[in-house]
Amino acid sequence: MNDAAASVLLGAAQLLFLVAASPLLQGAIRKLKARLQSRQGPPLLQSYHDLAKLFSRSEMVSATASVFQLAAPWVVLGATLAAALYVPMFAATTPLTRDGDLLVVIGLFALARAALTLGALDSGSTFGHMGSSRELAVGALVEPALILGLGSLALATGTTRLGEIVAAGAHDGLGFFNLPWALALLALAVVTLAETGRIPVDNPDTHLEVTMIHEAMLLEHSGRSLGVLHLAAMTKQLLLACLIANLFFPTGLRADPGLASYLTGAALLVVKVSVVGVALAVVESIYAKMRLYELPDLIGSASLAGLVAMAITVWQR
Amino acid sequence: MEQLTAVALVTLLAASAVELSGALPRLRAGYWLSAAAALAALAGFVWLLAAGGTVAFDLWSPAPSLDLRWHMDGLGAFLGAVVALVAVFSSVFAVRYSHPRRLDDAVYPLFLLSMIGVAGAGNVFSFFLMWELMALTSFLLVLGDGRSHTQRVAALLYLGMTHVATVLAMTSLLLLAHAAGSQEFGVMGSSAAAPGARTSLAMMLALAGFGTKAGLVPLHIWLPRAHPVAPSHVSALMSAAMVSTGIYGITRVGFDLLGPGEAWWGIALMVVGAITATLGILYALMERDMKRGLAYSTVENMGIVTLALGVALSFRAAGADGPAAAALMAGLVHTVNHSLLKSLLFLGAGAVQHGAHSLDLDRLGGLIRAMPLTGAAMLVGALGLASVPPLNGFVGEWMLARSLLSLAGSDASVVTGLVAAGALALLALTAGLALACFVRLFGMAFLGVARSVETRPVREAPTLMTLPLLGLALLSLAAGAGAPGLVRLLRGVPEALLSSRGASLEDAHRVALSGGGSFSPLVVALALLVLAPLPWILLRLSFGATSRKRAPVWTTGGSFAPTMQYSATSMSKPLRLFFKRVLLPERQVTVEYHGSSPLLRRVHYAGRVPAVVEERVYLPMHSLAIWSARRIRALQNGSVEFYLLYVFIALAALLAVAR
Repeated sequence: MNDAAASVLLGAAQLLFLVAASPLLQGAIRKLKARLQSRQGPPLLQSYHDLAKLFSRSEMVSATASVFQLAAPWVVLGATLAAALYVPMFAATTPLTRDGDLLVVIGLFALARAALTLGALDSGSTFGHMGSSRELAVGALVEPALILGLGSLALATGTTRLGEIVAAGAHDGLGFFNLPWALALLALAVVTLAETGRIPVDNPDTHLEVTMIHEAMLLEHSGRSLGVLHLAAMTKQLLLACLIANLFFPTGLRADPGLASYLTGAALLVVKVSVVGVALAVVESIYAKMRLYELPDLIGSASLAGLVAMAITVWQR
Repeated sequence: MEQLTAVALVTLLAASAVELSGALPRLRAGYWLSAAAALAALAGFVWLLAAGGTVAFDLWSPAPSLDLRWHMDGLGAFLGAVVALVAVFSSVFAVRYSHPRRLDDAVYPLFLLSMIGVAGAGNVFSFFLMWELMALTSFLLVLGDGRSHTQRVAALLYLGMTHVATVLAMTSLLLLAHAAGSQEFGVMGSSAAAPGARTSLAMMLALAGFGTKAGLVPLHIWLPRAHPVAPSHVSALMSAAMVSTGIYGITRVGFDLLGPGEAWWGIALMVVGAITATLGILYALMERDMKRGLAYSTVENMGIVTLALGVALSFRAAGADGPAAAALMAGLVHTVNHSLLKSLLFLGAGAVQHGAHSLDLDRLGGLIRAMPLTGAAMLVGALGLASVPPLNGFVGEWMLARSLLSLAGSDASVVTGLVAAGALALLALTAGLALACFVRLFGMAFLGVARSVETRPVREAPTLMTLPLLGLALLSLAAGAGAPGLVRLLRGVPEALLSSRGASLEDAHRVALSGGGSFSPLVVALALLVLAPLPWILLRLSFGATSRKRAPVWTTGGSFAPTMQYSATSMSKPLRLFFKRVLLPERQVTVEYHGSSPLLRRVHYAGRVPAVVEERVYLPMHSLAIWSARRIRALQNGSVEFYLLYVFIALAALLAVAR
């Protein structure tokens, strides 16, 4: 089997895994959160039923909306899926190794954010505008934390390609887990909370205008569009979980795998992502939502942690 | 090449003469001729860039050692091509857009001529002749008929700042010419002086002098005033082409006339560039006037390019010419892409003004329905400047971020590495803010519903205005997906200055930097083109087609009013408060009551974001200057005896000193 075919197969496998498993992760987090709060919670597979229902429903579109509201969900999902092709999942390699790196992943997240916010502005609804305004502001703050967190790993390993970072980390063994690593993990953890719209940054369970960010942008969408936007958000959540899991805990992943090590990598990934999911549910249960105007403190601290991680790496090189 | 250049220069002079004569004003011959001249010049300069080498000829020698000499190398051809590229589109746009006015129409071709002349000038004398012509012609274009106060203030401020800048830049070049014993750029470059106090002084003077033209903080204050008040085709030329002459000046001095310098030069440029980029985009976010927002975004992008030059200088000082060339390439690529995108957006703003009679983002809205072509083109420009892949604005920033990471990981000093890390953080912040800024700019103008109902109906701009917009949008898309081709075209520039190409070219569709790292914008574009429609097709196949209904916007039960929407000002409120310690926003709320009763009569609200640098730095300096002028005026009492006394004192002092 030549390289191109292998890349296509790996890409297809990654995308299938993301799309198929992301509602499960969402359901598991919701279930665990409910149990932590002594509630029964929705069934584990509820997200699949929700999506199936939305996918077959008809849509209602704002009378003033143009093509942006209609196209936004597809661009958001497309950009998120495209980003997945640069992220190592089952092994220390990616489908598009030489065509992009962590900066491209960050860029594609920005593209998804642009599509989402433009779609929300299109409807002319106050809620959409409010959500866009907040999403863009939070997104601007998240960007430095994201690039510094990932950048300090890139600096330590001498490459920006995510597959090679994972390979170098797996090769380094225990030496990889040092102080900059911990600080970068801290930065990326906060980024994940913000990018997945979870407490303390946003509350996924509310439609109260004083608090919502992500949900406000979805209010004007309905039917299949809404389903696609939900799916995109869940996909992004799983993608970020994979990114954190593999970048910070690369042990066991191989850069030049055979079928057996792909399967091992997949099994490891399921375990690691479950841990990330548990962490998300626990954090969401024990913290309260922060006020919007206190967010710079939280995300700024994450950026600072990333900057310190980079500074230590520069100092040590 | 010589012929094409000569044809272009002569055509521009003819264009100016035709307009000055006032013959056939309805034909707009000056702008058509300018467009043709720019096209010829573009062909010549691109040819020179592709072929490499230099073109030199003497034009005129009015006096000994005052030779008007044309000497164009790769860097000059680069600037010339950027200027000509923008000029082609803005000249065609101006045919329908601009209001005929004899002086403006005659000065416009001369403005083009002067910028091309700056690119082709082969010695200090010709350079500053053209530089001054550029300053004066652009001053006249900003001034226009000078009827409005804003225009006069902007034009005079610009005139003052540009002349201070010229003095600084000229001092820098004269210092270097004196050291080299020649004012020819070719000779000065090959006899680069050893690093020392004199070269450091020349570098910093060049940074300040040329940096003023590029709008670097804190020398930027004229730019957001002067660029927007000019008509849009002139704004496009100033903001997309003329600022690049500033970048050209810094590059010419830092990489050609001076040899590898001190490590702190690069640090200085990185610090200035990163701060300029962040502040520029923050202020752009706060503007409600579309063109002023665009002008501040120019400040941001020139900061990004300066940051790239700083990275290149740092690598060069450390002796790593390969990564230095890669960083320089990042700056060049971003300059080209910014020129395309910014001229697109400024011309688009002209079309919006023409079609919707306003540039106020708090009033506009929903233009996409009446102006779909302008909207489509401006979407490309907005997303490009928001540096979103696979558009061209992302390419340069990717190269720069990659270079910053290489610099932080290189064996340059720890201070350089730390500055690079900090600059990377600010670059990321700038990218995030730019996304917010351009989603806001585009969304407020083109999406939703008009926030204030204008009496005149909105209409699409005429074909002669939308064609240049669509042309620039297509070129931007091509420069994004075809970025390796752009890198291939420009590789001669870093190769001549640093003897390294900056990017390897084995990959047909990838940009691969000398310092490591590769990226294929084409693959990103293809992945998006597959992965966005694929779910649509799959869902349609598995769940069938669904119907779609239209309904009014949901307003929690009430009836919809356009003012319910967020305005541009409310859109940027979270960021205004997040960054309140930088922006220092002011807010005044006065509440009036009915006598002593607790009933409200009136609540008055006023808020603004002050231009901090202007008010805290320039105004005190201005007051100081006026104050000292008043004191000095006491000497001028009009009596002849006193003047004779002054002469005597001056003479005595001179004799005492010179003895």
